Amino acid sequence: MNVSELLAQLPEDDFSSPAITESTERQLREILADLAQHPVPVGSLHRFWTVSELSAQIALAYLAVWIRQWFSGADASKRRLMETNLRVALKLFHRLGYLRGALAKLGQAASNLPLLIPDQVADTLDRLHFEAPPMHYPLIREVVRNEFGKSAEEIFPTFEREAFAAASLGQVHRARLRSGEPVAVKIQYPGIARTIDADFRNLSALMLPLRLGKDWESAKSQFEEIRRMLHQEVDYVQEAESTRLAGALFRPEDGIVVPRVYPEYSGTRVLTTDYIEGLHLRDYLATNPSQQSRNAFGTKLYVAWKRMFYAFMPYADPHPGNYLFLSDGRLGLLDFGCVQHYGPEERELMLLADKMSFEDPSLVEEVVRRICGVTRQDPALPDYIQMTHDSRDWMMEPFYHQGPFDFGDESHFQRGLDWISRATRKRTTRGNPMYVYFNRSAFGLKAMLYRLRAQVDVREVIRQERNV
Amino acid sequence: MRVTAEAKTETRQRILQSARSLFKKEGWQNTTTRGIAQAAGIATGTLFNYFSTKEAIAAALIDEALQRAAEEFRAEHTTDTSLEEALFTLIWSGLAKLRPFRKFLGPAAETIFSPLARSSPESPGDAIRVDHLELVEAIATAHGFPGPRPSVVTQLYWTLYLGVFAFWAADDSPGQEDTLALLDQSLKLLVPRLEIATGREIQ
Repeated sequence: MNVSELLAQLPEDDFSSPAITESTERQLREILADLAQHPVPVGSLHRFWTVSELSAQIALAYLAVWIRQWFSGADASKRRLMETNLRVALKLFHRLGYLRGALAKLGQAASNLPLLIPDQVADTLDRLHFEAPPMHYPLIREVVRNEFGKSAEEIFPTFEREAFAAASLGQVHRARLRSGEPVAVKIQYPGIARTIDADFRNLSALMLPLRLGKDWESAKSQFEEIRRMLHQEVDYVQEAESTRLAGALFRPEDGIVVPRVYPEYSGTRVLTTDYIEGLHLRDYLATNPSQQSRNAFGTKLYVAWKRMFYAFMPYADPHPGNYLFLSDGRLGLLDFGCVQHYGPEERELMLLADKMSFEDPSLVEEVVRRICGVTRQDPALPDYIQMTHDSRDWMMEPFYHQGPFDFGDESHFQRGLDWISRATRKRTTRGNPMYVYFNRSAFGLKAMLYRLRAQVDVREVIRQERNV
Repeated sequence: MRVTAEAKTETRQRILQSARSLFKKEGWQNTTTRGIAQAAGIATGTLFNYFSTKEAIAAALIDEALQRAAEEFRAEHTTDTSLEEALFTLIWSGLAKLRPFRKFLGPAAETIFSPLARSSPESPGDAIRVDHLELVEAIATAHGFPGPRPSVVTQLYWTLYLGVFAFWAADDSPGQEDTLALLDQSLKLLVPRLEIATGREIQ
């Protein structure tokens, strides 16, 4: 499977079928099933690129389907133009080497949707979070020297030359401080951050001729949100600050650990934090943990997510690579690059939606008006109201359940996917850009809990966290 | 009066020193051999006994810096790293040594290292090219890729080196990190070719 084959999945001239249909979904499943047939070669640095390619291709497949559905209502000539531009854009997207890293991250998000992705693919994508990209030591040394004027050996008494984890467009090395503290040193591939804007400008320019009414305006602002968050993810100064803010939210009795940042060893391309010893989801599950242990970790996952949400800084990237299961039962949170920071307007909207969810369902129309930007006169209003009801029902299901809710229940997860595909089919995708990441985050959390087969007393967690 | 070897070395160093500060202060275009001679306190005619052109002076400055980088590289180099890492270290340490002259090196290199210029022993950049390629050849051999290499591979390497050099001279990114990325990716492209070419030679 390669990109040309993915591109071939896009119809050339036939515009008679609706853009997003069961058959598109089937195609996507077939692509993924096919990917699962081809095991990724294990060993050597080559693997990283291959795995990146794989998840980038999955992300591209999603991207293609996602973009096509914006234009299902357009006339044939507009759609033909759109298809052509989309092909060019996808080719460009694929050619930009570093963007493969970014795309790989979207692919990882996809790996978190267990019902949609075959197990083998999800497993491979999981491993990607901890594989080292090919940045050799002489390059690492220069990035560190650029940042601090000294080499890594001069700063850290021990510094492991082999990376132990992949990071947002970089890699993580284990080291030790003079004080003896074990640390994780995250190092970014040089020059990546500044190219993001330029490349997004190019992509936007390609997409510009495609603009189509209100949906396009909303899609554009969602696209802009992705660019902004991608940019934030490679901003290690911002990440250091987010990590610090997150750390302040948790008390020892929560059993949730956030690594400390060492500002004197951190900068724009290097981020030094505590090294936390623990297992990632796959390895934890391999120890055959008891239901009690799964439930305890599941509850901590849920608490951590809600705590950050109510602090107006949602953890937007809850994928398996960002959690550690510690042997003493504590949960480690890693990687705060993808944390949203809500401003006054976003806080107000978030609180409005929260009030609608927990206290006053009659606020649905106001939510639709303000968050989706759909006016009373808009003929799509009923669809949006239905979509919001659906979303609320699914999100609140664990809350209305008496006693611990079993997140291992496949039908709950399936209902979430059904809601998303209904919303996509009805094209009720306009929304405040803050929801691009919120939805990804909510799905990510539920997918984690599903894979953990955890039972969580959601009502109790909410009761505590809404008051925090 | 016979000029002793010591005095010659001393004068040569004085010329290079004056050239270095003038290139930095006045830029490449505005610096003349007459100005350099004046700053070094010698007659312009005397300067020509040492360097035939302004380019030759700049080439000597580059050569000196690269020699120092090469010495350091030889002292520290081991073959337990990959060929790609070794070449990366060699090239980058050379550029790091040239950093103080970076601003004027771009325009100077246009003539000294022009890929369009015919290479001849008289051209000021030629000694640098020969030295550098010899070192690269020795490194490749030490890493288990013995020559002789097809000339196209050597030519390809040198062209790439000049490309990285030119990019670096004009690179305004912090710490020239864009050049770091370019060098890394260039070597990722080239080194496998070098290895394949060697493999063919062995067969």
